Amino acid sequence: MKRLLVMGAALALTVASAQQMQGNPNLRGEITVWSWDIAAKALEANIPGFNKLFPNVKVRVLDLGNQATYDRGLAGCAAGGGDLPDVYSVENNEAEVFWARFPNCFTDLNTLQPAASTLRNQFPAFKWTELTVGNKVFAMPWDSGPVVMFYRRDIYNQAGVNPATIRTWDDFIAAGRRIAQATNNRVKVGVIANGQDDEWFRMLANQNGCFYFNNEANAVTVNQPGCVTALETVKKLIDAGIVMQGGWNEQIQAFKAGTVATSMFGAWYEGTIRSNAPEQSGKWGVYPMPASRPGGVRAANLGGSALAIPASSRNKEAAWAFVRYALGTTEGQVTMLKEFGLVPSLLAATRDPYVNQPQPYWGNQRIWQVILGTLGNVPAARGTQFFQEARAIMVKTQADYVAGRFPSAKAALDAAAQQISQATGLPIAR
Amino acid sequence: MKRSATPYLFLLPYLAIFALFWAWPILESLLLSFQNTRVSPPVWNLSVNWGRILGDAAFWDALRNTVLILVIQVPLMLALATALAVALNSQLLRARGFFRFAFFAPVVVGAVAYSAVFRLLFNQNGAVNAATGLDLNWIFDPVGAMAVIIITLTWRWTGYNAIIILAGLQSIPKDLYEAAEIDGASPWQQFWRITVPSLRPVLLFCLVLSIIGTLQLFTEPWLITNGGPGTATTTLGVYLYRQGFQNINFGYASTIAYAITLLALVFSIIQLRLFGRES
Repeated sequence: MKRLLVMGAALALTVASAQQMQGNPNLRGEITVWSWDIAAKALEANIPGFNKLFPNVKVRVLDLGNQATYDRGLAGCAAGGGDLPDVYSVENNEAEVFWARFPNCFTDLNTLQPAASTLRNQFPAFKWTELTVGNKVFAMPWDSGPVVMFYRRDIYNQAGVNPATIRTWDDFIAAGRRIAQATNNRVKVGVIANGQDDEWFRMLANQNGCFYFNNEANAVTVNQPGCVTALETVKKLIDAGIVMQGGWNEQIQAFKAGTVATSMFGAWYEGTIRSNAPEQSGKWGVYPMPASRPGGVRAANLGGSALAIPASSRNKEAAWAFVRYALGTTEGQVTMLKEFGLVPSLLAATRDPYVNQPQPYWGNQRIWQVILGTLGNVPAARGTQFFQEARAIMVKTQADYVAGRFPSAKAALDAAAQQISQATGLPIAR
Repeated sequence: MKRSATPYLFLLPYLAIFALFWAWPILESLLLSFQNTRVSPPVWNLSVNWGRILGDAAFWDALRNTVLILVIQVPLMLALATALAVALNSQLLRARGFFRFAFFAPVVVGAVAYSAVFRLLFNQNGAVNAATGLDLNWIFDPVGAMAVIIITLTWRWTGYNAIIILAGLQSIPKDLYEAAEIDGASPWQQFWRITVPSLRPVLLFCLVLSIIGTLQLFTEPWLITNGGPGTATTTLGVYLYRQGFQNINFGYASTIAYAITLLALVFSIIQLRLFGRES
């Protein structure tokens, strides 16, 4: 018995330190994976490595697009678990609605071998919060989205802007004015989605320690001071005329055309820039997001996803092997980081030597040091099962406030809080 | 006994399917509208959805957008369709068969395909801006986005309505026009005094169909503007879908569905009062 314990402990140790995986040629089957954009490509990039260990499992990755993956997943669960893949990608922020409304739609990963609970220490605790209900674990953490500024070195240089001096949002606005001047108003300093999304508001709110809901997921906090400051800053940026308005596709078109000098996003956007504009190699760099006030927090998180296994999967064992290979091994996670810039949440992978290498595309900057360096300062925020509802209300509120339909950011957010409270049944926090 | 049962036996397959796929969902959604479906499992709560709907700013936005399309697009389309029908009916027109088909053709095109094409056409770098010399960001401007939806709907449905109205035109007896001509009535007078009054039942039919279609409008705003920017093109149909299938709040979605039904009822009664007096 004692010996068994020692052996078990030794085994656990090897698993924890090496984060490698034993192959199994006897595992057979075909699995389908649903994902989107870069994330889908990153999973695809892991198939060859996975097939070295599991030669008889055939993996098929389908890129449905982000919103369609979510919509079809919910529709499938609502229909009692039909039309779902073997491996399902879900953003952490959006995940809770699945477990809350459809507790039987996904496999409790603790019922598989090895149980997910044995992998707990290999990831930061905050990544599990939205994936766990009681002692059930419904998904495995994948990447995280520490927010940084991706900027065009050549354009900043031309305008005489030194990114190291951009410490606050006011500095950023000043930089935007100089860039506009230097380029005859041809180049904007950034792209803000207004009317399609509220991601800038969310990043800035998170930076200020505020979000739609509190971390206990039992009250609406969207009208608290941190969020008010965030919304004021968004309007200030737009009113200054230094940013362009546009959604996901417009932003890609803009940086490809060189009409925007900065993109602020979760670090997973690295792969989007690199793969969409290979001809701009060497022209880009990275710096931490500006703070709301001098000396304030310069970190936030946007996005970050997880993989789940629908209960309807007929190849759970093969699906679990793929999930563990792609997300739970250093090899799998570093492949996705290298090829597509997905920031690993597997702790061992964040310590991989690759992280310290200078990146040629980024002017030989050690960007992953900069990016991972902000992770520890990211204030916690929780999507809750009402994320999409709150987001829809906030997108509209931001657009209305920017258009001048509210006397102040506080008034706008008070109205938003009222609506979110009504939509969710949660009280507004004092 | 046996004889009287026979017709019911013949009706049974239809009745069974009707009960399963129509009657039951209609009843079930009514019951759902009185449940709080934000928790699992849902619980009865008579006021949670019906109490919410009147104070829900997003619902009013959706209603306002839908009514806006109703009062601008439907009359515009029916006027165009009537003009088109008269033109297609003209003896002066050559290749009438071809033109009738050409104007009817948009209905045959798949909604997804033509929505994608319109989205491209109205892109800021798209063909519409290029052809007109404008630099409008159609899809991302609230007014522009609504204009695109209205233009798209008009493009798709005008020809369809024109064909229905054309059938109405052809049923108007020719001798009415001959008599009018002998009496010295101008073509313009003939149109207003003979054509329009005779078309009244057909126009009413087109109006009812268009209004019900608009109240259920979903495909175009969903695919072209995704209801945005903000909620600028969110119709009742889009809002219902969001509540039902994105927020998984089937109780509230059912409440919205019943609100739409009530609206359709009100509109139908108003129309019959206004236009259906003589019949």
